[in-house]
Amino acid sequence: MTTRFNRRSMLRGLLGGSAVCMGIPALDIFLDGNGQAWADGAKLPVRFGTYFWGLGLTDTPTGGTRWVPTKHGAGYEITPELQSLAALKDKVSVFSGFRAIGDGKPNLVHWSGHASILSGSAPGVTGSFDAPSFDTRIADAIGGATRFKSLEISPSGKALSYSTRTGRAFATPETTPVSLYERVYGEGFQDPNNPNWKPDSKVMLRQSVLSAVADQRQALMADVGRADQIKLDQYFTSLREMENQLEIQLQQPEKCEACIVPKPPGEGKKSASIDVVNSNTKVMARLLAMSLACNQTRVFNCVHTPGSSETYIAGDSKIYHQYTHDEPTDAKLGYQPMSSKLAGMVMQGFGEFLAEMDAIKEGDGTLLDHMLVMGFSDTGYAKIHSLENIPVILAGGANGKHKAGQHIATKGESVTRISLTAQQIMGAPVGEFGVGAMKTSRPITEVMA
Amino acid sequence: MKRSLIKLAAATVSALSFCDTASAEWSKTYVVEWNEPAMYYGAKAGVIDPGTDCPKGSNPEVDWVSVLSKGGYTEAEAKWLRNPANPSRSAVHGQNQMAFRGADKANVYIHPETTPDPGLVGVSGDIAEGINLDGDASTGFVSPNGEKGIDNTFYKTLGCWKTYRGPPRLSSGSLTMNDAMREGSWTIVVVVSGKGSDPMNDSNVDVGFYMSGDKLVKDGNGQIAHDYTFSIKPDAKFEALFKGKSSNGVITSKTAADEVWLRDPSYTRELQLLRARVSLQMLPDGSLKGYVGGYRPWKPIYQGWVDARGPVIEALTWVQLPSVYYALKRTADYSPTGAGGEKTHISFAERIEAVPAFVMTPDASKPATTVKSYKSLVKPEAAAPATRFGVIDGLVPDPKVPFGEALRVYPVPETVASATPARAGGGN
Repeated sequence: MTTRFNRRSMLRGLLGGSAVCMGIPALDIFLDGNGQAWADGAKLPVRFGTYFWGLGLTDTPTGGTRWVPTKHGAGYEITPELQSLAALKDKVSVFSGFRAIGDGKPNLVHWSGHASILSGSAPGVTGSFDAPSFDTRIADAIGGATRFKSLEISPSGKALSYSTRTGRAFATPETTPVSLYERVYGEGFQDPNNPNWKPDSKVMLRQSVLSAVADQRQALMADVGRADQIKLDQYFTSLREMENQLEIQLQQPEKCEACIVPKPPGEGKKSASIDVVNSNTKVMARLLAMSLACNQTRVFNCVHTPGSSETYIAGDSKIYHQYTHDEPTDAKLGYQPMSSKLAGMVMQGFGEFLAEMDAIKEGDGTLLDHMLVMGFSDTGYAKIHSLENIPVILAGGANGKHKAGQHIATKGESVTRISLTAQQIMGAPVGEFGVGAMKTSRPITEVMA
Repeated sequence: MKRSLIKLAAATVSALSFCDTASAEWSKTYVVEWNEPAMYYGAKAGVIDPGTDCPKGSNPEVDWVSVLSKGGYTEAEAKWLRNPANPSRSAVHGQNQMAFRGADKANVYIHPETTPDPGLVGVSGDIAEGINLDGDASTGFVSPNGEKGIDNTFYKTLGCWKTYRGPPRLSSGSLTMNDAMREGSWTIVVVVSGKGSDPMNDSNVDVGFYMSGDKLVKDGNGQIAHDYTFSIKPDAKFEALFKGKSSNGVITSKTAADEVWLRDPSYTRELQLLRARVSLQMLPDGSLKGYVGGYRPWKPIYQGWVDARGPVIEALTWVQLPSVYYALKRTADYSPTGAGGEKTHISFAERIEAVPAFVMTPDASKPATTVKSYKSLVKPEAAAPATRFGVIDGLVPDPKVPFGEALRVYPVPETVASATPARAGGGN
C-alpha cells in the first residue's frame, strides 16, 4: 500500500487563521512488508551490548559440567546452569570450549579472561587492558546518532565497567536504577514521540557556547607542548562527543514506536547479596530496554558482578568467590554443589535481563530480535582460575544477522573468534581481531546469516 | 667451615662429571606436563573422603568465629569480621583482621608462636609415594607397590590438608599450580642420556632437569602437545642433575645428588632438595613418569603460604596457618649439619609426568643429547618481584583499613551486635 505520507510527515491545517501542524505517530504503514525496516528503506536500528558475570560456570576436571550441552548445533538441550535461558533458547547461542591464550603472560586471575575477550590481548597488568574493548568500536560504528554513544550499568552497585577506549580508563557505569533513570530520563531527555517537540533552548545555548570557543581551542592546542596536547585532545574528545550529543538533541528525533517513557523507579537496596543484585539487574534491564527502544543509545555494557564476584546468598558468611575455591567436588555429584547453585542464581540475572529485552514489542518482533547481546565471564573452572572453556553466549537476532539457537563447541580455540563474530554480525568493519596466538580472521560462520 | 668446603668440593666434582666430554650412546628428552607433591590418597572416591591415609577425611572446615573468639574478639566482633557485608572484608584478599589473633593481638602469620598450636591432623596410614632417601628399609612408609623405606614426612605431616589431598592430579593445590604452568607460567625440560646400548637397562644413566623459556603448547584436546621443541634456558638456581642407572626402564639414582633445585609448583616457587634422588620410569608410549625426592627446607614451605595471603589461604584451604608452622617444625626429619643439628629440612617427593619433546641446547644450535650443567651460561636478569599482590606480613594492605584496625574503622553495627545470640555450635 502506498501513501503520500511518510514517517516524517506532519498533518497540517489551519486553526483560527494560523497554520498548525501535528506529528504522526509511528504507524505500521510506515514499516516495510517484513516489519524489519521503515517503508522508506531505513532499517530498524540494531543494538549491541555486553553482559558480564563473574566466576564462570561449573565445569570440573572429572567431567562434572553443569552448563555445556552435549548436543552440538541447533536444538541443544538446556543444562542446569542455563535453565534461566530456557524460554529464550531459540534466540540464544552457546559457545563452549573456547579459551583465552596468555601468550606467555601470566594468568591475572579474574582479569585475563574477559580482558582477552574484549580487547583481543592477554593483559600485562591487572586493572588495565592492552587495547581498547571492542564494544567501543561498535559504538563508534552505530552509536553516533543517539544521545549516548553507549550506556554502562553495574547492578551489583560497584562502580565497575570493562568498556575502555584506552585500556587504562574505563567507562563510569550507573550503579543503581535511580541513577540510570536520572541519567537517561532526567535532564536532556526528549521523548521521541512527543508531537510538540521543540529544540531545548538550554541545549542551544550550550551548543553556541562551545562553538564560540572553537577558535580559541585551536589556538591553545598550537601553543602547548606534546604532553599537554595529549591531555587537551582527550578533553576535547569528550567535548566533541558532547557537541555531537547536543547536535543530536537539537534535531527532531526519530519516532520510536516501542518507546514508552518509564516511571521513575523506587530507591532500591544496595547490597552484594545475589537477591538484591538480581533485583537491581531486572529493574535496570527494564530501564535500559526502554532506553534502547527510545533510541537514547544503541550500545550498552553491563557488569552484573565483577570477576572476583563478592555476591553471596543472604545470611551466608561465605561469598560465591570463596565457595568456588574452597568447596570440594562432591564425590557423588561430580561437581561443587553450592558453587553450582550460586552459578544458577547468577545466570538467573542474565535470563531476566534478556527477558526484559524480549518483552518490548518492536516491529514484527521484539527489541531482543533487533539486538545482539554478548554474555561472558572471566574464567572457566573458577576453582583454579582456568582460562579454558570460558562460557560465552550470544543472544538476540541482530535484525536477522544472528542464526541463533545453536551450541558451538570447540576444543581450545581462541575466545577472540567469538568477539570477531559479534563485531561482524554488528557490521563493524573488522576483518581480524586479537593479537599473538589469539589473532584470528575466522569468525564463527555457523551463527552468521 | 670444613663441612662447607667438603660440600663445595663434592658439588664441583659432581658438575665436572657432567661435562660434555663425550657424547651419549642414546638420549631421550621430555617436557614436564604435570608436577605435584607425591601424596597418596587412601579413599576410594572423592577428594576429601575418609580413607586409609586420613580416617576422618581431609581436615575439616575451620570455625572462624570460634577461632577469633579464642583470639580475643567478642562473638559479635568475630561474626562482623566474617560478614560479607563488612567493608573491611575484601572479596579478593579476605579479612586482614584474621591475622591479629595472637597474644596481644599479634599477627599470627609472622609470629605463629604467639598462638597455641591448633593441631594439624596428619596422615596416619602406612602407604606413601616417594623414594627411600636414607637407604633404610626399616623406616618410613611402604609404597603402593610394596617397596619399603619410603621417606616422605612432608606427606605424613601435610597429607590430610585439603589443598594437598586428593587422587593424582585432582587436589585443589595441584590443579591450580599446574594450570598456571600449562598456561605458560614456566616450563621444565628433562634430558636423559646413557652410554649403554639398551636405554631400558643401562648402568650409566644421567638425568637433567632444566628450565626453558619456551611456553608449553596445548594440542587440540587441551592437553600438552608432544614433540614440540624447547631450548634450555640456563638458570643460576633451577637445575637438577642426577647420576643413575636404568633397569627395565626404571631410572634410579646410584648416588644422591648433594643439592639440586627445581621450580616448585607452589607459592614457595623454589624447591631446594638435599640428598636428592630420582625414580623415573620410561614408559612404552614415550613418556616419563616418577619421582624426584630429597630433603627440602621446611620454613620456605610455611612462608610460601603466608606470602600467598594468610587470610585467603586459611579461608580457602580450611587451615589455621600456625598449625602448619608447628607441624612442620615438629616433624622435620633432616639436618644438613649432622645428626645432632637442628632439623631444618623435611623428606619430600615430587611426582613428575613428562611427555616427549625436542630439547635443544641454550643456543638452539643442536639437540641436547647429554646431561651437563649450563649454569656458567647464565645471563644476569632483573630480579623477580618478591611477592605477588604486594603482600606484607601475609596481608595485602587496604588503604582504608590500616593493619589491625578493622574494628576501629568499621565497628560492629548495632544490628549485628544486638542480633548475636549465645553460640549453639559451629559455623563460620
